[in-house]
Amino acid sequence: MKAAIFLILFFVSLFTFGQATISGVVKDEKGEAIPGANVSVEGTYDGASTELDGHFRFVTAETGEQVLSITFVGYKSFTQTIQLNGQDIELQVVLKEAINQLDAVVISAGSFTAGEEKRRTILKAVDIATTAGATADIAGALNTLPGTQKVGESGRLFVRGGDGSETRTFIDGMMVLNAYGAAAPNTPSRGRFMPFMFKGTSFSTGGYSAEYGQALSSALVLDSKDKADINQTDIGLLSVGGDVAHTQVWDRSSVSGKVQYTNIRPYFGLINQEVDWIKPPVSLEGSGAFRQQVGDHGIVKLYGNFNRSDFSLYQHDILNPVQVKAFEYKNNYGYGNASFLQSIGNRWTARGGFSYNYNEDDVVLDGGPMGQIEKGTHTKFVFENSVSDQVELRFGAEHINISYEASRLDSLSIQQVLKFNNPITAAFMEAEAYASKQFVARAGIRSEYIGLEEKISIDPRVSVAYKPFEQGQFSLAYGRFRQTPQNQYLRVNNKLAEEVAEHYILNYQVINNNRTFRTEVYYKKYLKLVKFVNGNPGQLTNSGTGYARGFELFWRDSESVKNLDYWVSYSYLDTERDYLNFPVTSTPTFASRHNFSVVGKRFVSAIKSQFGITYSYSSPRVYNNPNEEIFNGGRTPAYQDLSFNVAYLPKPFLIIYVSATNLLGHDNIFGYEFSETPDSNGTYVSRAIRQPAPRFLFLGVFFTISKNKSINQLPNL
Amino acid sequence: MIISVLSFCTGLLFANDKYEKAMQANIDAIYNAQSPEQIQAAINSFERIGAAEKSKWEPFYYASFGYVMMSTRELDGTKKDLLLDKATEGLNKAKAIRADESEIVALEGFVYMMRVTVDPATRGQQYSGMAMQTFGKALSLNPNNPRAMALLAQMEFGTAQFFKAPTTSACEKATKSLEMFESYKSENALAPAWGKESAMRVLKQCN
Repeated sequence: MKAAIFLILFFVSLFTFGQATISGVVKDEKGEAIPGANVSVEGTYDGASTELDGHFRFVTAETGEQVLSITFVGYKSFTQTIQLNGQDIELQVVLKEAINQLDAVVISAGSFTAGEEKRRTILKAVDIATTAGATADIAGALNTLPGTQKVGESGRLFVRGGDGSETRTFIDGMMVLNAYGAAAPNTPSRGRFMPFMFKGTSFSTGGYSAEYGQALSSALVLDSKDKADINQTDIGLLSVGGDVAHTQVWDRSSVSGKVQYTNIRPYFGLINQEVDWIKPPVSLEGSGAFRQQVGDHGIVKLYGNFNRSDFSLYQHDILNPVQVKAFEYKNNYGYGNASFLQSIGNRWTARGGFSYNYNEDDVVLDGGPMGQIEKGTHTKFVFENSVSDQVELRFGAEHINISYEASRLDSLSIQQVLKFNNPITAAFMEAEAYASKQFVARAGIRSEYIGLEEKISIDPRVSVAYKPFEQGQFSLAYGRFRQTPQNQYLRVNNKLAEEVAEHYILNYQVINNNRTFRTEVYYKKYLKLVKFVNGNPGQLTNSGTGYARGFELFWRDSESVKNLDYWVSYSYLDTERDYLNFPVTSTPTFASRHNFSVVGKRFVSAIKSQFGITYSYSSPRVYNNPNEEIFNGGRTPAYQDLSFNVAYLPKPFLIIYVSATNLLGHDNIFGYEFSETPDSNGTYVSRAIRQPAPRFLFLGVFFTISKNKSINQLPNL
Repeated sequence: MIISVLSFCTGLLFANDKYEKAMQANIDAIYNAQSPEQIQAAINSFERIGAAEKSKWEPFYYASFGYVMMSTRELDGTKKDLLLDKATEGLNKAKAIRADESEIVALEGFVYMMRVTVDPATRGQQYSGMAMQTFGKALSLNPNNPRAMALLAQMEFGTAQFFKAPTTSACEKATKSLEMFESYKSENALAPAWGKESAMRVLKQCN
């Protein structure tokens, strides 16, 4: 009996009640066959791949209610419930294209992204580090892109008629104050953050997302690297100092630290300098980073940086150059940033963080001490929701607090103090929606409450992009942006309102097979700029106005010539302002009408070397000559620079690096300073503002010690 | 009671047999595939089996291997990356089932190696380091994994050639991997068996 039942059961499990054939055809929305799609009865082995003509056919022994699914890369999955009762099934299926594909339209107005993650980027992360003339400075490399104006005596990013303070730096979404290191008057400063720290850089010359505030002209958004993968120690010996870095990795976390000492004293001995140094700049810098992966996709990042630098020099009187005043300067800087990213379920992501900035400048001018301290905190939370494949929603809130204090001893040795505390609270919301692969729109709104001004502002930001062809796409952006006036003005008048800029941008871009063409036209309107009342810097209002307009061209090609990668940028700028001490509307001194750059890079494997070359041109800038009737009537000569670098890799773990700027020795003049009083003939005497040295030569030797000898520091240079 | 246990056992036995049969057929198909279409068809089968079985790492491993094979034939960088993304997806599923399998880790290194080829100038440093480190990890999980050794030899050989450095160490590793291929034995009937040719290719350039 038992045996009989066993046998029956055995046969039941072995034989099937009936088999059904499932067949059909899979096509896309245009009616084209999709070959290679995976058709399956979910939870079983049964299924087939579609043939070249989109047809499929298979037999299944499954019965009852089942789910048939069809999947293919780049398309949304198709599922359908089917009843299997021995009868054959035939299906006609249309797969819809998934939008999050590499060839979908993207919003490109105003923004340059450099990174490996999104592969269709205009710059690679490594480009920032390997551009000749930039000497591994982020701003230096970005200054070769359209939309920027070369302002050689500053080293900062001046974007579309905006001054250097109108570009705001963000690290992992958190605001950075004082993003540039200390520099002597009229000498270029370098960014405090080294390019190799970041996996991605997004440089926006206008029309940026509602997430970013307190920036009138430009947002530089830096994404720091995730957990490190390799244990290594790096040692660099430089002609101007040295550095040591170490990275230690664990399964889910990593720690890295770096100490750098820079002393340009030996260097200043070698090359004739424009500046009369008492003590050339010396700086000690340390930074550390910690990364911890959390859950499947979460990460916590900590980063800290401190820097101490000082120098002193003699300022020569313009009328009587033998008369000097000693200028001593010390800077203490600290930045700390903690950020996190965590996905909540399938559709939600939360991110946010906290940053702390500390900057202290101490100056002694001709025996008289003065100084300023700025402390800033920033707290931010952002939630992102993928409503569907086509709609993304983002909203968040942040709080910024800036406290500032400046002090000096007046002629009676009484301490004069100017200070303020400015809390800013902001909230933003933004939605990005794809109507199809060809059309995307982003609309956002940002609201800020400024503590000092006691006012609420609401600003719209809108972008759309349309891709009518296989390759090229158009993008349009509009937005209103605001920024509190610079400390030196806000400390005089705490009630100053935020300065405002409106951007209108039209962009066309084609990226195809390692070639990029891009052009942009824009108009920018400035409102509520700080203005001196009757030329008196002690009386400030928000009655200044201005505009900037222009067009830009960019071409990059790493395809046409083997091993050669080059890009060309051109910017045309027409800008005028009536602000600060301007008696009439005029072009500001930092603006130049034409800016042109060519950057080339080539790796020559026969001699294991990478060569880089950069040529930059800026048309004359205006300056004010008090001897002339017309305000800002003077014109400087044009700026020109030809820079070169070479990295030689004799061994996989060793790099020898040489870089030189201004090979042609062009005498670049950025403007003129004039004596405060006229000389005996009644004329104001001028002095040219020149480069601190005609050429900058840099030599470095870099070793990497790791288990794997082929890793070296090239990506860091 | 006895009956239900028995029928359960036969069910299991059959299920296992069915799994191995289906896998073996598709493994043969992927090793012998001539066209991307044939590889894709095999990958699809592995994905179906993987989705049905849920607790076996091999289907996802072979699906991933299929995408890596396809990426070796693809010339367009963007498409190559897309295939490698799919390969990584499969590897992540395999790793979720068996985290410390040397074969999975070795294939992960292979993916990094292929990432380098998309854009050697900008990716070389990062991904070649990651590839070597990953092959090292695969060998620490199983010192007898001939594929990890062969891939490591290939990677080292390429790097040495690039820097015009001696290829001795790379060639020794290639020889060693061939010995490992000869003596390789696995209790798993579905264990990977590919990779010998690439070791032989390296050795050919050594002499």
